Amino acid sequence: MTASGDGVAVRDGRTGPVRGGGAGRAAAIVAASVALIVVAVVAFAVGRLSTLGEAPPATTSAEAGFARDMQTHHQQGVELAMIVRDATDDPDVRLLAYDIATTQAQQAGQLYGWLRQWGLSQAGSEPSMTWMTRPADDGSGGDGDGEGDGDGDGHAAHAADAGTHAPGAPMPGLATAEQIDALRASSGVEAERRFLELMIAHHDGALEMAEAVLARSTDDVVVPFATSVVASQTSEIALMEEMLAARS
Amino acid sequence: MSATPPVPPKAKQQQKQLTIKQQRAEDRARKLEEHRRREARSKRNRRIGIGAAIVGAVAIVALIVASVVLTPQPPSYSAGGDGTEVEGVETFENESTHVETAVDYEQTPPAGGPHNPAWLNCGVYTEQVPIENAVHSLEHGALWITYDPALPDDDVSALRAKLPSTYVILSPFDGLPSPIVLSGWNTQLQVDEVDDPRIGAFIEEYWQSESVPEPGAFCTGAVDGPGKVS
Repeated sequence: MTASGDGVAVRDGRTGPVRGGGAGRAAAIVAASVALIVVAVVAFAVGRLSTLGEAPPATTSAEAGFARDMQTHHQQGVELAMIVRDATDDPDVRLLAYDIATTQAQQAGQLYGWLRQWGLSQAGSEPSMTWMTRPADDGSGGDGDGEGDGDGDGHAAHAADAGTHAPGAPMPGLATAEQIDALRASSGVEAERRFLELMIAHHDGALEMAEAVLARSTDDVVVPFATSVVASQTSEIALMEEMLAARS
Repeated sequence: MSATPPVPPKAKQQQKQLTIKQQRAEDRARKLEEHRRREARSKRNRRIGIGAAIVGAVAIVALIVASVVLTPQPPSYSAGGDGTEVEGVETFENESTHVETAVDYEQTPPAGGPHNPAWLNCGVYTEQVPIENAVHSLEHGALWITYDPALPDDDVSALRAKLPSTYVILSPFDGLPSPIVLSGWNTQLQVDEVDDPRIGAFIEEYWQSESVPEPGAFCTGAVDGPGKVS
């Protein structure tokens, strides 16, 4: 009995898997494939959906507006610095101008690269400064709200206000063509004074723009950039005011 | 298999056979019952399985749809002519060298080629500008917007209002193939009307393009041409 029972068991054991082998293996393959597809789809979905919060800024965003307008602003900063380097022999002013020109040219290049990385054109689809007329993230600022400072003197306390700005208006702190011509026509201490006055106002305007984007963005590339612009240009304004006082 | 048990008495055996018959009947009934239960269980399991499979399939499809619909699409814009097709834009291949002499350009107005070492400062000009200098500005990413000197002043003002404040030269040009011609490095568009929407499209596509030889190089600090108004 034991032997025959063993025999039966063995034969059953053999025939079972052998007979069911085709179907069993097919079922296992199907199950494995389905599991594989399910895992792949879930992984794909998790990967894609995890990028939901990191969409690049849109073309009408504050980030894109800042990247475009600050490039134009910085380019004039470079222009002014290069003019004064040709207009004076004073080593302090020439060194400051060298510092400003190289910093702002490098930063303009960063802003250019952001737009490229975000898949946006360098030219905006709406007029310059439009982004600063929109409300800040906390609801403040925006069209018709706030004071702004036109005198270029109250740089210490800039709100992120945008009330004095209008779409298409020049960026705050930009020198006019006449002011640039006057700087170019002057030399020596006169050129130094003109440059310092223009550059203090220019930095003031840059602070206003940097604070405006900080009030409107949480982007992890834009925020550190704007924060360092605020820090470095604030301290440079203090330096330039000392230099200007020493030349008055 | 070893030892055969002792033969039991007949009655006892009959009773035992009866019992065995009963046992077999019971056995059959029990097996039948078991079979029914197993059937019912497998039926239920199958229903659960099918239901689960449907739910799973719907969830998978929903995941795929959500992934595609909700997530941002890759940017479609690429600076320098790989993005929007602006109808009527011509493109060229010009060389970029510095020369001190006058140049006979392939295109009218020039859209690239050998140029003067000094670029023309960007801005608005009311007179013809030195072309060898203007071509250098194109190399830096500027656009050169030229108009027929016969274009009415109102149209010139309207044209000027459409332009970015930097990296643009606006100037009259004699002998244009159309009333207004927009040129960037190796790219050009002829338009007849100042309100042609392709003007804005061309600016968006080619202004400060990264496909110029020296993007980001400045358009100030070199030489002015005659008749510069801003």
